[in-house]
Amino acid sequence: MTPFLLLQALVLLGLIVTAVLIISFKDLLAAAIAFAAFSLLLSLEFYLLQAPDVAIAEAGIGAGLTTAIFIIAIRGTQRHEEKN
Amino acid sequence: MTRWIFTVLVMVALMLLAMVRLLKGPTSADRVVALDAINTLVVAAMIVLAVVFRQFIFVDVAIIYALLAFVGTLYIAKYLGGEL
Repeated sequence: MTPFLLLQALVLLGLIVTAVLIISFKDLLAAAIAFAAFSLLLSLEFYLLQAPDVAIAEAGIGAGLTTAIFIIAIRGTQRHEEKN
Repeated sequence: MTRWIFTVLVMVALMLLAMVRLLKGPTSADRVVALDAINTLVVAAMIVLAVVFRQFIFVDVAIIYALLAFVGTLYIAKYLGGEL
């Protein structure tokens, strides 16, 4: 296995871990933070596939804008999910 | 060339270690610090990958990324501080 494929496998492993974290957190602020980490790793994966323009768009929208909008939405509603 | 790939491999392994703190962290502040550590590692990995691919334009992606990803951390910090 070449080092490049190993690198992509590690990034994809991180993507899976953060995606599972997003849907398992009941604290919505923690879920928003995990989503920011997911977006970071997805941007790195686009970068590894040599698509820097897509990586810029993902970084700007995913890491910057979406996190800010989610935080504003959490402030407007409530932070913890209700238990059924 | 392959030496730089191994540098990036170590950085991605460190991202996975920071993800453990993102998973376990009892308070939100721990998770924000873990996110910021992942953030810095992604920027450093992008610059090293620009050396691997021998593309000068790839460094600009890392610069834009470092500027934009800061906004998300800033919003979370303002929310935790109660200013937002």
